[in-house]
Amino acid sequence: MTEIITSQTPPILHGPSEKEKKYDRQLRLWAASGQEALESANILLVNSGAGAVGVETLKNLVLPGIGKFTIVDDAVVNQADLGVNFFLEEDSLGKLRSECCTKLLQELNPEVQGDWFPKSVGTLDLPDVLTTSPRYTLIVYTNPIREEDLATIEAYASQHKVPVVSIHSAGFYSYFRTSLPGTFPIVDTHPEVEKTTDLRLLSPWPELVDFAQEMTKDIDALDDHEHGHIPYVVILLYCLEQWRQSHNGANPTNTKDKREFGKFVLAKSRTNNPEGGEENFQEAAAAINKNIKLPELETGLEEVFNYQLSDEFELQSTFWVIARAVKDFYLKHGCLPLPGALPDMKAQSSVYVKLQNIYKAKARRDVHEVLEIARANTGGKDVDLAEVELFCKNARFVKLINAKAPEQQLNQIYDTEKANDAAAEAMKEETSGAFSLPMSNFFIYLALAATSHNATAPADAIITTISSKIPNAIGDKRMLQVAQEVARAGGGELHNISALTGGMVAQEIIKIITKQYVPIDNTCIFDGISSRCQVLRL
Amino acid sequence: MAAISGGGGGGGTGAASRWHYLDQIRRNPGPFNEDSDVSDEALAAWDKAKVLVIGAGGLGCEILKNLALSGFKDIHVIDMDTIDISNLNRQFLFRKDDVGKFKAEVAAAFVEKRVNGVKITPHNCRIQEFDEDFYMQFQIVVCGLDSIDARRWINATLVNMVDMENQDSLKPLIDGGTEGFKGQTRVIFPTITPCIECQLDLYTPRAAVPLCTLATIPRQPEHCIEWAHIIAWDQEKPFPSLDKDDPEHITWLYQKASARAQEFGIAGVTYSLTQGVVKNIIPAIASTNAIIAASCCNEALKIATNAAPALGFEESYMMYSGDDSIYTSTFRYDKKDDCAVCGNLAKPLAVDPAWTLQELLDSFAVKPDLQLKKPSIRAEGKTLYMQFPPGIEEQTRPNLDKTLKDGLGLEPGFEIAVTDPSFPALTFQFILKFA
Amino acid sequence: MLKIWSMKKEQQKAENADGAGGKKKKVTAAQLRVQKDLSELSLGTTMKTEFPDPDDILNFILEIKPDEGVYHGGRFTFTFNMNQNYPHEPPKVRCQQKIYHPNIDLEGKVCLNILREDWKPVLNLNAVIVGLQFLFLEPNASDPLNQEAADDLRSSRDSFRRNVRTSMAGGSIRGTTYERVVFNNKT
Repeated sequence: MTEIITSQTPPILHGPSEKEKKYDRQLRLWAASGQEALESANILLVNSGAGAVGVETLKNLVLPGIGKFTIVDDAVVNQADLGVNFFLEEDSLGKLRSECCTKLLQELNPEVQGDWFPKSVGTLDLPDVLTTSPRYTLIVYTNPIREEDLATIEAYASQHKVPVVSIHSAGFYSYFRTSLPGTFPIVDTHPEVEKTTDLRLLSPWPELVDFAQEMTKDIDALDDHEHGHIPYVVILLYCLEQWRQSHNGANPTNTKDKREFGKFVLAKSRTNNPEGGEENFQEAAAAINKNIKLPELETGLEEVFNYQLSDEFELQSTFWVIARAVKDFYLKHGCLPLPGALPDMKAQSSVYVKLQNIYKAKARRDVHEVLEIARANTGGKDVDLAEVELFCKNARFVKLINAKAPEQQLNQIYDTEKANDAAAEAMKEETSGAFSLPMSNFFIYLALAATSHNATAPADAIITTISSKIPNAIGDKRMLQVAQEVARAGGGELHNISALTGGMVAQEIIKIITKQYVPIDNTCIFDGISSRCQVLRL
Repeated sequence: MAAISGGGGGGGTGAASRWHYLDQIRRNPGPFNEDSDVSDEALAAWDKAKVLVIGAGGLGCEILKNLALSGFKDIHVIDMDTIDISNLNRQFLFRKDDVGKFKAEVAAAFVEKRVNGVKITPHNCRIQEFDEDFYMQFQIVVCGLDSIDARRWINATLVNMVDMENQDSLKPLIDGGTEGFKGQTRVIFPTITPCIECQLDLYTPRAAVPLCTLATIPRQPEHCIEWAHIIAWDQEKPFPSLDKDDPEHITWLYQKASARAQEFGIAGVTYSLTQGVVKNIIPAIASTNAIIAASCCNEALKIATNAAPALGFEESYMMYSGDDSIYTSTFRYDKKDDCAVCGNLAKPLAVDPAWTLQELLDSFAVKPDLQLKKPSIRAEGKTLYMQFPPGIEEQTRPNLDKTLKDGLGLEPGFEIAVTDPSFPALTFQFILKFA
Repeated sequence: MLKIWSMKKEQQKAENADGAGGKKKKVTAAQLRVQKDLSELSLGTTMKTEFPDPDDILNFILEIKPDEGVYHGGRFTFTFNMNQNYPHEPPKVRCQQKIYHPNIDLEGKVCLNILREDWKPVLNLNAVIVGLQFLFLEPNASDPLNQEAADDLRSSRDSFRRNVRTSMAGGSIRGTTYERVVFNNKT
């Protein structure tokens, strides 16, 4: 018997490229735009001390594919390094730590470039490295650090507007702090999907009103199938219209009215069926609470609208041009541009697609209006449509990081945190332990910062250093315990704490580089004993 | 200004100073650990500790590295999976050339080579292939899994292994999980603190779309993909069985879904979305895995050394969220009295192996704390006697005259479960002991 | 590690429980739950179960013989399969015959909300069985799996009824031949 073998399976159409396959699990978070930003990033690590936390941070940036990294570190690899740093091996002993770590990190991702300084033992010149290298996107340094190196980094960062992250990991504790050059606005904040629904039920535009009226003008004559498939947006618009007629034109916006309105909606459901009700009317009643509300500005966007531009750097950014245009739009219409997405709801396919297109069309019109305003404003003639689209889609959740200079002195923060701890303690006692609030991590920051340039300081020296800025710290029990715990580490890193901190720092750097999600503002302190983070603005 | 030595304080050259930093913590008691033991004996005991790592994926790779650099010397790792190209963005012990090889094997060999003095034994298989004897050899179990099923299995196994006559039978279970920028770490002391089953309601089940929506009124690209996956595949059976990792199969589904989307005017079906929906892909990145794996290993280190108080008895759950600033919530979760795994632990029951099943059932009727009139009774994988429904009653009736040991093959240590319609809310569980 | 053990002993003492030692063979949570569900089943006269392997209670067949409604006189069987995740996942239920029904497709898949999107662990096998019974009494044309059957039901109840009878007798409707499911009821 002859067998004829033919290829029956179709070719792979629009299948992913090798790179898309490799990065698939992260592209689902930050998409191609985020990936592109990462791939153009050039990161500098100035490493010192036990040296593991900085290298762990880089590991988590090399894997997702940053463009380039450079390690500056004049240490020579010793035995203790091998007990804490995974990117060193027996052969590394006696060699430059910067070179060994760079090479082992590069193995993780052949698409990432790596470089190191110094090129030979004892020849490090940090100012020279900074002036002769291409511009860095972001600098990470680890504590303890020489004061002159710190000054060099800070001068470079302020001259070139480069974000800096400082890290300190010792024993069970760590903290890291980001210093951003000026205000840092984020458009693509990735809020939870459920929060982003904006149906405009209280301010529908004519096309939406027409659509709803057309569907409901003879609502009682609809057959059961049609009636059971009216999308809940249409049901609510129809019921709101009826409600207003019997409530002097007022919408049900307070809790009591909303509850009544829910009953009003459900009463319109047909019950002459085996289920004794209709799913779409139940969906409508369930959607009332979240979707019938007066427009309100989120605090983040309010901050953007009220922000006074001060700086040359900011005036040039298209973000602020678009933000101003969106504000003008808001002032004119009393609402933001429509994001345009429609959640899924029970409906027939064709009806749903029509309704979806009504929302999309309105969103497009709003984008064009904002674009026109922006282009007419000063500095806006080159504003890009895609950027306006992204802004309008995310307008409600736009955020501003690092908007103001820190308002409080360390000793004020100390008193606040102390008072919070006392309140937490009292609450715990009152409720016999049923409610307990976490204790402040601020003292950990103080104790670590006191060893920034002297890693092996004993507890009493740590307290002395702190008390020069915060006299109240003397004699405080928790402050002393924390200082003892820091002294216990003797400047040594625990690999777990450094790996954990390196993960958090890498997440923050990814957020800063991709301008997606929301970075911390500005210090994160981790306590590996109670397994807790606290973010403070310091 | 104090001079800062480049490599930190541990400038020694001998191999003894290898653990200089770790020794700071394990040889010096701290202010928060009252019951610390920093003796050489305690350190020697730790050197002998055997740790089991379940999963050699995103979390597992990190966990192996962290445990090796926390001074654990004897580590086993179980994973049945082989390496896929989409693992390389985070599973840092694997290279492109490793694609297709067993994860456990490659990961173990890598860490063993990199960290001197650690022994890592890989097992390229499912956790269900091992019995209690295997799990009994470990002191701590650390899980980095992406499947709820596997978590529940190991949880039930470890709860079941706890034996009051053997203190080594209680194995702390440390479990990590991640999704995107978020993750969680929890510590379980089986039978003492809330177990994974007690906390199942923390998982939100994947929202399902009604079958009829897929069949007749699709509205979203996902509906078209699910239709191709569940309905079209079943009708047309283009390949003998669906392999979600086979690009040809995904392409078939993608094309079906695209055609359907076009028919209904729905936008947004892509190859990537098809793959995501069909495989239920959860986004995963290196940094989140680093955070959660390190948190798990930090707890393992604290439990093994008492170097600082660990999670477990008070707060046992750490939730991490990094997508909007950084937020952790570390909280206490209560044990569920009616937990299917640890809530209703089986009580010992002395029986005569020569009894017939009928005699055993009769004894339930007269036992003052039971008084069961119509008991149905089963053992693992064996239906002894069911009163209801009628068909199975008839099928199992002959068992009533058989003896427990020789007739029915029951052994000491077998659990039996007894239900009775008079007590609809209860199941009685017993561990057989032969008198 | 020692501390953990002393905590365990204290707990044991507080509960006044008697420890069980040795190697155990435990009944899985899914089996326990199915055992409980089965003993609470109310099958009435129109249904019965069949266990191909009585030791495997996670797999059985349910027979339904509707005694009223358009499917009266038919005999339909459904396979029930519960996996180890039961009751956190719903049972998988399939009709074994090719039947003409708006909510059951030609492959035997059943569109019943509690078998998919509305399943909750507090539900039990009885709820599913009641649901299946309901489908035979009240076939639902609104969101069907079998669009043709639904269209027939919506346009004319009588022609739908005729088609049901034809299909149950093993006849064809628009080119699709159905399985004969009528049984000889001598009572």
